[in-house]
Amino acid sequence: MHENPKAGPEVSRRGFLKGAAIAGVSAVIPSDKVPTAVQTKDEPALGNFQSPKRPLGKTGLQCSVLGMGGFHLATAGSQAAINNMVAKALDHGINIFDNAWEYLDGLSEERLGVALKRRRDSVIVMSSVCTHGRKQDVAMRMLEESLMRLQTDRLDVWQIHEVIYHNDPELIYAPDGVLEALTKAKQQGKVRFVGFDGHKFPAIHLAMLNRGYAFDTVQMPLNPLDPNFRSFESNVLPVANQRGIAVLGMKSMGGSGELISKGAFTPSEALSYAMSLPVASIISGMDSMEVLDQNLAILRDFKPLSADQMQQLRDHGRQFDDGRYELYKSTMKYDRDLGRSLHGYPSAAELPV
Amino acid sequence: MSIPLRNFGKTGVQISALGLGGHHLGGAKDEKAAIEIVHRAVDGGITFYDNSWEYYRGKTESWLGLGLKGRRDKVFLMTKVCTHGRDASLAMQMLEQSLRRLQTDHLDLWQIHGVVFQNDPELFIRPGGAAEALQKAKEQGKVRFVGFTGHKDPDVHLAMLNTGFPFDSVQMPLNPFDATYFMSFEQKVLPVLNQRGVAPLGMKPISGHGDPVQRGVLSASEALRYAMSLPVACTISGAEELHIIEQNLEIAQNFVPMTPAEMQALRDRCSPYAADGRFELYKSSLKFDNPEARLVHDFPLDTAQVEVKDMVNEAKDTGHAWPQI
Repeated sequence: MHENPKAGPEVSRRGFLKGAAIAGVSAVIPSDKVPTAVQTKDEPALGNFQSPKRPLGKTGLQCSVLGMGGFHLATAGSQAAINNMVAKALDHGINIFDNAWEYLDGLSEERLGVALKRRRDSVIVMSSVCTHGRKQDVAMRMLEESLMRLQTDRLDVWQIHEVIYHNDPELIYAPDGVLEALTKAKQQGKVRFVGFDGHKFPAIHLAMLNRGYAFDTVQMPLNPLDPNFRSFESNVLPVANQRGIAVLGMKSMGGSGELISKGAFTPSEALSYAMSLPVASIISGMDSMEVLDQNLAILRDFKPLSADQMQQLRDHGRQFDDGRYELYKSTMKYDRDLGRSLHGYPSAAELPV
Repeated sequence: MSIPLRNFGKTGVQISALGLGGHHLGGAKDEKAAIEIVHRAVDGGITFYDNSWEYYRGKTESWLGLGLKGRRDKVFLMTKVCTHGRDASLAMQMLEQSLRRLQTDHLDLWQIHGVVFQNDPELFIRPGGAAEALQKAKEQGKVRFVGFTGHKDPDVHLAMLNTGFPFDSVQMPLNPFDATYFMSFEQKVLPVLNQRGVAPLGMKPISGHGDPVQRGVLSASEALRYAMSLPVACTISGAEELHIIEQNLEIAQNFVPMTPAEMQALRDRCSPYAADGRFELYKSSLKFDNPEARLVHDFPLDTAQVEVKDMVNEAKDTGHAWPQI
């Protein structure tokens, strides 16, 4: 062992302690290679820009590469503000809208339902069921509520929400469990396709896939930090791709923009990275017109990153490989109260992270 | 009355099978009550004393130092250093503070505290990292043995062991919930330590704050006996009040190891609760991660944590966000 404490590489220490601050100064990839996000309040020149589409796995549906997350949307302000955002997204070809039964006690689904009125038939409406281990009858009741709030008689994609506890796969696959509701709802024509989502452990996603149910979609966090910490990209994405299951990415900027606010990446780097992976769509939470404009501008200028550019971003992310900006994996911050209570955990008020 | 003694790894030193945890001592009603707990522990046959530089911002080391006054030679004294990835020079400063607070000129065991994040092993072993402080403190005779602790992820423990640093001890949560959870220290780390002759130190025998006991899943006695029946050198349990230490002493003084069948029965009883980690919040949340660790790793603080409250208080009117050491 070296005695000279100064012999150490500067890299770790500086990057480690001040990483966020210094990293924020310049983009990882030169700006002529990746479009910079529009930071001004001026509306970007989107013209007639239409989002590119990709196949939603083997469903036969085509979805926009960028999707709209339900939780953030519902926090964007008044119903009128939300209507405007949804209208603009639709104008530019965004056609996949995510939601969950438990977001904001149903308000999130209600608001999306209002905003999508009369445009319902041109879009892919998703919602998620929040049984958190409970039986199919609970799921079927939630489905009826989701349909009512979303003002539709059929969901395009219905997913099991927040599969994050280690015994969830066992509870989900149990007789009379939520999987039976998925099958039944499909048979009844109330949902067209089914899947699940979760943000915690790749091993839990794999357990869900390997037990054999024929999921059409699977949703997971994907961003340039993920490859270096409990990685969904390395462990789950290839399995889903190989089986033709549509992959929906989420948390491309860290869940609450941590990758950006901590200075690790620009919005363009984070979103472009996620959209360059073999996924159907990246569901992004957008809580204001500014963020929607920013993401649409990134999408307008989007060219899939080269393997080298992807690797550069991953390498840059390595200094944050302790999970500090992937709080959905490393803390309880993103675990909702309903799931916590059904799994015997303290509420978010008692234990925020 | 006495407590069974066990080998501290391959060192030739023996320690009591039950140790006194340092953090809970800070929850004692006052200094006098804390001293009383320490005296009772020494008289009852506990020779192993745990602490950490960062508990209650130093208060628990000071109180333990007062409690051990005149008794220092009877005990095996451990405390932990809280670099959380920072340099060896900082570790040496912390060591001097710990020695002063504990009123001693040497520690029997000095451990790296809270090795919980994926990059901690790499930061520990890097040139200039805390590994150099462990080595140096040993050479200077300020500590006899060295080790590390952590409560999060068995794979992080294994990565620490794989740095090749010659640890004398390793501390980890061991209880019947850990035993069947998918991130199990009992399954993944304990056998490696025993095979290498590194002293295993168990902690959180009652899951940190006794949640499963309060909910009636098992008794404190069952939990403690389970942990002590594992192949460990010592099981560390804290006490904020005298009646808790009395209860633990009685269990340890009359300790009869559980049979393998008894242990399996307890694992089976606990496994439905173990499966989602609900009683192992030290693994699944940041609850047990000290602010010192969170700050260095840029994780969010929890204002409900006692050390954070103390930090805020100490920083009042100083113009600093929190006191510098």
